[in-house]
Amino acid sequence: MSPNGQTVGRKIVTLDNIYTVLLAVAVGAALVSVLFVAYKCYSQYGTIFKIP
Amino acid sequence: MSTLTKILIVLLTVFSIFLCGIVVTYVANANNYRQMYMGLRVEKDSAVKKEESARNELNTFKDETDRHKRQLNSTIDSLKSQANQLQRDLQTANAEKDDAIRRMSSWEAIVMDFSKTTDSQSQLLKNTLDELEKLRAEQIKKDKELKQTETTLLEKMVIISTLDKKAKRLLEEKTELQNRLNQLLRQYGKIAAPAVPVTPKPEKARTTSVARNIGLKGRVTAVDQKNSMAEISIGGAHGVTEDMKFHVTRGDEFICDILILDVDAEKAVGILDLVQQIPKVGDNASTNL
Repeated sequence: MSPNGQTVGRKIVTLDNIYTVLLAVAVGAALVSVLFVAYKCYSQYGTIFKIP
Repeated sequence: MSTLTKILIVLLTVFSIFLCGIVVTYVANANNYRQMYMGLRVEKDSAVKKEESARNELNTFKDETDRHKRQLNSTIDSLKSQANQLQRDLQTANAEKDDAIRRMSSWEAIVMDFSKTTDSQSQLLKNTLDELEKLRAEQIKKDKELKQTETTLLEKMVIISTLDKKAKRLLEEKTELQNRLNQLLRQYGKIAAPAVPVTPKPEKARTTSVARNIGLKGRVTAVDQKNSMAEISIGGAHGVTEDMKFHVTRGDEFICDILILDVDAEKAVGILDLVQQIPKVGDNASTNL
């Protein structure tokens, strides 16, 4: 990533990858939540955005 | 990467996970309002139908109730009129009852007076009957005496008729003799003096009592030795009179005499006299031996 990381060694890269994973996890959790909510809306009301 | 960015990434991740968990949990536990809406709509439709049917029933019930009410009102009116009529009938019946009670009281008094009058009339009738019996007995006695008198009168009439014929014949003979005497004396210038009866003037005719047997026969019906009295089975209806004497016999045996003191229609009571033996019930009692 940054030149500082390359100079410090593999430990800094690992730490940056952790934060990337954390961001991925956060995005995945949000995505899963949206999908779950959309599924529930469609199964219960037959539509996702319209008010029946 | 700066420290602030790292902190923001960590916080973003934590809050994302937390909020996503909350959202998933809420959505998973949320109510199915569409299903609830459908159920409530079905219930509402059924309730509306029920309301309609209930309204129809209510209207029908109201109509029927009104009809019943009218019928009951007419029935109440007729019953009121009947009650009034019955009230008037009751008043009339009460008045009639009071009148009947008053009449009953008056009739009771009348019946009591009538009973007393009937008792007195009965007693009077009894006394009259007794007197009638006595009078009948006396009448029988008088009839017997009348028959006897008539017989005697007929005998006397026959005697008087015979005597009249004799007197007439003697008068004719006297006249003839007078004429003859006058004819004889006229030759000598004399005339016969008027005849003077030698026999005394006849007095008022008197009947001679002809003794005869009475011939009454009876039986001794009761004996009172203590008072020396006895009762016989014949009385005034058979011709028994007071002071008449009856001879009591038993077979050919003389027992005593009974001197009659009291006479009833069918019996007579007398005192014992010339008692040879004590008389018994059933002994013969007769006026002639």
